[in-house]
Amino acid sequence: MPAVLTVDPRSGVPIYLQIIEQIKRSVALGVLQAGEQLPTVKQLAIDLTVNPNTVARAYRELEREQVIETSPGRGSFVRSNGVTESPKVAAEIGRDALDVALREAKSVGLARDEVRELFDAALLRWFPTFEK
Amino acid sequence: MSTITISSLRKFYGKIPAVDGFSLEIPSASVFGLLGPNGAGKTTTFKCMLGLARPSSGEIRYDGKPLVPETFERIAYIPERSVLYDWMTVEEHVEMTRRAFRSFDSRRAFELLATFGIDRRRRARALSKGMRTAVMVALAFARNAEILVLDEPTGGLDPVNQRHVLSLMINEAAKGNSIIFSSHQIGQVERAAEHIAVMDHGRLVLQGLVDDLKADRKIVEGIFPDVSFTLDGITNDARVARADRTERIVRLLVTAGADEIAARLSSAGAMGVRVLDLNLEDIFLYAVSPATATTDVVAKETST
Repeated sequence: MPAVLTVDPRSGVPIYLQIIEQIKRSVALGVLQAGEQLPTVKQLAIDLTVNPNTVARAYRELEREQVIETSPGRGSFVRSNGVTESPKVAAEIGRDALDVALREAKSVGLARDEVRELFDAALLRWFPTFEK
Repeated sequence: MSTITISSLRKFYGKIPAVDGFSLEIPSASVFGLLGPNGAGKTTTFKCMLGLARPSSGEIRYDGKPLVPETFERIAYIPERSVLYDWMTVEEHVEMTRRAFRSFDSRRAFELLATFGIDRRRRARALSKGMRTAVMVALAFARNAEILVLDEPTGGLDPVNQRHVLSLMINEAAKGNSIIFSSHQIGQVERAAEHIAVMDHGRLVLQGLVDDLKADRKIVEGIFPDVSFTLDGITNDARVARADRTERIVRLLVTAGADEIAARLSSAGAMGVRVLDLNLEDIFLYAVSPATATTDVVAKETST
């Protein structure tokens, strides 16, 4: 599994949240498939050179959100519904990113209509197949 | 597995308090980073923990018990300054340590020395500062100790070997052992430590889980249309630890509830409201030198 997993300890975003976000993203993108085994807490801690308790915290949270399941002695696995729910996870990632962008736009004093104009232009840039 | 409890520790050198009423619980099986400016009392705290300095008052307990000679078998210590004997070779240091501690693993020590590229036949006198640190690291991590007390364990080491020391620490934590370390390299603490405590002038000024501190502590910044704005008592909120106001801009250091406080700033009429993340260096600076911190955080944000 993911050599794609990296953390930036110097960021203001807690490391366990960075791990959660990346595993969710990997599930949403199908990089991690249903039933696929995750590295052990110890292994991931060593690979990323971060505290094992921090990795354990991320795994606990992912279990609580039913993205992964852990069976004692066997390890942690991506849940099958973790994958069926991947469109939902993808939507969540998109919504969060839009929230950030809109908050920023609002904070610099843009009006609703101005934001809509910018949004439409951006939509056209990124999704050109939907051109009128 | 060992919980270390430091209660009301005081240590005076003459009339000067090096540690001035310091209480802390260090949980077992975790990596604990002790931060603080020079002279904050970190080394003195370590010395008291190891019985190398006698507390003027207060006490330190391991799993509720005071430090007894048997406890030393379970603790490995890397002092801030080299304690190697100049006239002895590296190999002789390994042999000396083996005789002193039953659970010491000489083979492991030599393995570690090889990883750091240290020639075991060299005398300590001929070693650079970084190499001395590496030798002390090798000796400590071959001890099979349950508790490792590491005072600047990466001093003088190059980035590759620094990372190597961090990996050794992570390994020990993964085995269920406890590591308490100090470092001026905040980036290392940020990466490896789960808990931190910040000391300043012999006192504890901040402690917590690194990830929680980052999640909770934010800067909320608001820009007002003109200089004559009022904050509607927002600064009286207990979660606002500090407020800096310059003309049309206000910056609040909050210890929780950043989004809610940002919303209150908006309703007070602020337009450009931003919530800025803080990394451990920012959090550290706010704890020990708030005036430096504000300029830093803002300069960093605008430069990115």
